[in-house]
Amino acid sequence: MDLSRIDRRYIYLVIAIAIAVPLLLKVQLPVSVGPEVQKVYDEIDSLQSRDCVMISFDFEASSVAEIKPVAEAVIRHAFEKNLRIVGLALFSEGTAIGYNIISSLAEEYGKKYGEDYIYLGFRPQYVSAILGMGENIDQVYPLDYLNDDWKDFPPFSDVENYHDISLVVSIADGSLPTYWVEYAGSRYGQKIAAGITAVMATSYYPYTASGQLVGIIGGLKGAAEYENLLGYTGGGHRGMLAQSSGHLAIIALVILANVAALRKKR
Amino acid sequence: MTELGTLIALILTLMVFSFLYKENPIYRFAEYLLVGISVGYYLVIICRNTIYPLVIEKLFIHGEYLVIVPVCLGLLMFARLNKRWAYLSRLPLSLMIGFGAGISIPAMLQARILKQMSASMQSLATINGIIILIGIISTITYFYFSKRQEGMFGKVTRLGTYFLMVFFGATFGYTVMSRISLLIGRFEFILRDALRVIS
Repeated sequence: MDLSRIDRRYIYLVIAIAIAVPLLLKVQLPVSVGPEVQKVYDEIDSLQSRDCVMISFDFEASSVAEIKPVAEAVIRHAFEKNLRIVGLALFSEGTAIGYNIISSLAEEYGKKYGEDYIYLGFRPQYVSAILGMGENIDQVYPLDYLNDDWKDFPPFSDVENYHDISLVVSIADGSLPTYWVEYAGSRYGQKIAAGITAVMATSYYPYTASGQLVGIIGGLKGAAEYENLLGYTGGGHRGMLAQSSGHLAIIALVILANVAALRKKR
Repeated sequence: MTELGTLIALILTLMVFSFLYKENPIYRFAEYLLVGISVGYYLVIICRNTIYPLVIEKLFIHGEYLVIVPVCLGLLMFARLNKRWAYLSRLPLSLMIGFGAGISIPAMLQARILKQMSASMQSLATINGIIILIGIISTITYFYFSKRQEGMFGKVTRLGTYFLMVFFGATFGYTVMSRISLLIGRFEFILRDALRVIS
């Protein structure tokens, strides 16, 4: 049998089985926590009750499956610590998704809009938005996502700029955390953490090593690690067995492809 | 309503997955639908969250007439649509380029080069720090093209390629992980939300 001529649809089928079957099994793999995720957890955990964290939903709809468990884990932690959350989006598609995530979790934790969290919505031109918020958030976002004047909410009326924000968490599927580092971190000394898709992780390790990012939560695995620290089972944990079996299937296919290539050479 | 949304999402997911069998009109319909909806959604968000609070409200409710200046500059961008007036769009463009360069060059220099250089030199007391420094020097050396890569210089550049390969391997591994995560998300949707096979 010539392995190099195998129909690609068989490969898709193998991957589909490798993903679907583990999801049907209620088995969970142990997850060890890496230092990057631990740093983000420790940073949020060290904040005082009613401190303000800014969570920026900087992703597009196509990444929701991977990024939503990350966002949920961070927001759960913030609500459990009774922190005030300022939500916003610098990618248009993340706007409604971010609002849905934050408001549904707020309902679960009994948190109220305007008291425990606000959602500012979307602004285009992220560089201008990030820089502008360093001077005055109200200038960049005069109204919130619901078109209310968010300064009228007493718990948030003292939030003027990054001085009043203890930590910015950029939940992103692209290069937005880099802009947060460059414009909010370098210029205003703002502490920044990133929740990112796994594909972006290698790009951000140098920023954690240099201390420009507090830490990173990378993809579904990062979410599972964070869920481990919080002691609950969420989207990250649920996907770990399927993730591992999918990886094993791909490793097997890579080996098979190399064997086929070697046989062909001879 | 939720049920209907789930049904539409399931149908669209299957329409996109049909591409795995072969390219077909059903897949293309789903693709065009995504593009159209994305653009429509973007326009609505821009109007509702940006043009209304930052232009309409400031101008007509708060009487902040200075807003007219950026609005006019923005409108000048549309001058490109007419050959005769196209030169007018150079004014907002030059402002954007000037602002962009002025803001980004020092910020990038600080965050991507100086801070990174400083971090790579501080950790020389550890084995990891030494490996990082060797990696940086050998990789940068590989991209020095004014000298033939042979002898001792060639050995250093060869070492640089090994570091690059490790980076490419790690990036590829993370990419696979990322794509598998997206597939898990869709399968979870099909099995849990649509078919209710898993809880």
